[in-house]
Amino acid sequence: MIHVKNLRKEFIVHRKPPGLLASMKSLFIRDTITKMAVQDVSFHVEKGEILGLIGANGAGKTTIVKMLSGIIHPTSGSVDVMGFNPWQRHPNFCKQIALIMGQKAQLWWDLPAADGFLLLREIYQVDPKEHQEMLDFLLNILDVHDEINIQIRRLSLGERMKMELIAALLHKPQVVYLDEPTIGLDISAQRAIRNFILEYRNNIQPAMILTSHYMEDIERLCKRVVILLNGKFVFDGPLQDVVQQFSSHKIITVKLHAPVEISSISSKLDLMEHHADELKFKVIANEVGSVSQHLLSTITGADLSVDEMNTADVIEEIFQDKS
Amino acid sequence: MGYLFFKIVNLELRKQMSYRVDFWVNTVVSFFAAMGVMYFLWSSIFTASGQTRIGGYSLKGMILYYVLVILIAKLVRGAMQMTGVAADIYTGELTKYQLFPTPYLTFKYAEHLGSLLPAVIQLILFGALSPLIFDFPETINITPISILTCITVTLLANLLFFTLSLPLQLIAFWADNVWSLIVMNHFISGLLGGAMLPLELFPDWAVRILAYTPFAYLYHFPVRILTGYISTEQLWLGIGVMSCWTIFLASLSWLIWKAGNKQYTGVGI
Repeated sequence: MIHVKNLRKEFIVHRKPPGLLASMKSLFIRDTITKMAVQDVSFHVEKGEILGLIGANGAGKTTIVKMLSGIIHPTSGSVDVMGFNPWQRHPNFCKQIALIMGQKAQLWWDLPAADGFLLLREIYQVDPKEHQEMLDFLLNILDVHDEINIQIRRLSLGERMKMELIAALLHKPQVVYLDEPTIGLDISAQRAIRNFILEYRNNIQPAMILTSHYMEDIERLCKRVVILLNGKFVFDGPLQDVVQQFSSHKIITVKLHAPVEISSISSKLDLMEHHADELKFKVIANEVGSVSQHLLSTITGADLSVDEMNTADVIEEIFQDKS
Repeated sequence: MGYLFFKIVNLELRKQMSYRVDFWVNTVVSFFAAMGVMYFLWSSIFTASGQTRIGGYSLKGMILYYVLVILIAKLVRGAMQMTGVAADIYTGELTKYQLFPTPYLTFKYAEHLGSLLPAVIQLILFGALSPLIFDFPETINITPISILTCITVTLLANLLFFTLSLPLQLIAFWADNVWSLIVMNHFISGLLGGAMLPLELFPDWAVRILAYTPFAYLYHFPVRILTGYISTEQLWLGIGVMSCWTIFLASLSWLIWKAGNKQYTGVGI
């Protein structure tokens, strides 16, 4: 449903050094720099799939989402969303997509959500009966029946986000872009939104792209991820493959049956966690054998287990190493 | 699209009423503030000059002119859309509208019309009360025909003002701040359009030139139509000039909009 090929976006940014002289100079001449936001990114998303777009701040995730929804024009490359070129913004394209931005309200701030939903029904030309059925379905899953007649600006952040989700999905879009939908929400609201996204996916089977800084969002919702670093494509594949492909370390857990003097264990080892009955070491993958032997010989009566690093730690490692 | 346009106007009307204090300040207090300044200013000018007529206006006639021009100017300008488009571009709010399968500029014009509610209430309220508050000339030539013609021309002037400010607001795609341009437009159109001074006070040569600009038709023209000072020939000529300017400015806005869209970065999201 979504096919992206060699997508590229450059921004020209004004640069102004500090000071009065520089400000006066900028009235006549301005220095500009070209910032590469997205560089030759290619991927595809199928119907019913949720693709996770992962990257640190400034990696280009939101820029990609903006290009796929037709808000900004790419510098080069091609995008095909359901057979449409997004930045031509054909009305039939607009009627089949939704962009949910965790940091930006789409509903009308001064009016109750109910008023906004009615206007959206007209904007998307949805049959009143179908609209009501979909609205009831979404209100039920998110449990916000009582808040529908309260002004948006008087709702809590979580309630507001739920209303935003409903507003974006009322016209049953076939392509949904979720840009940090759980940002700033408490744990229970995050969980409710995640469950809702899964429920919506199961019922409507849209193609979805999710960007999030919360690994739990990605782990719960996405089977496949694309990793970006400074606008460049790094990885595209199943989430569990990220660990195998990028993790250069493993975790050795030592269960202790008797107290041990830490200083007696080699100081060269990277001790991650230290509890009375358990030690955790981060070890380079090809040194696991020798380190295990060393630990067994140093600590008497210990049980050892070797595990992979968790996905979140691996991804954090990728960002740190390459940034 | 027609029904949707009506729904957007309707939504904006409700938004206007969501801030009660602002609504009444905008509707009632703003009229008294503007009218108070003009009343005392022109009373002093007439007293100091010792003349009974200035530019063909008696003091009563001048007061009537300002009552009408203040009420009509609000209908022409709208309550809040002076910077609406530029603000949407700067804040990234434009993104929301771009996702809709409806043309953005039509959407904004519907919102612009919806924002006229305080101006309409002001017109009805003070249109009825002003003869009791102010001393108007004994012979006012306002007829049902002149009222209907004035309403039609005021709606045209509203569209003309919207298209006049639109190209300036769309410069926001390239410039970091267009506020000064918008304020300048507001001031120039107010001065040359008769909102600050009746155009009869300008030299003849200036009035002749102004007749070919869009400004003269924004405020002065509807007021003069209402008070019966415009002939049928002048009316059609005026409507023709207004239509030509509206088409030209709307086309110019469309071209700037198409070019600006390629520059838009959707900041704020």
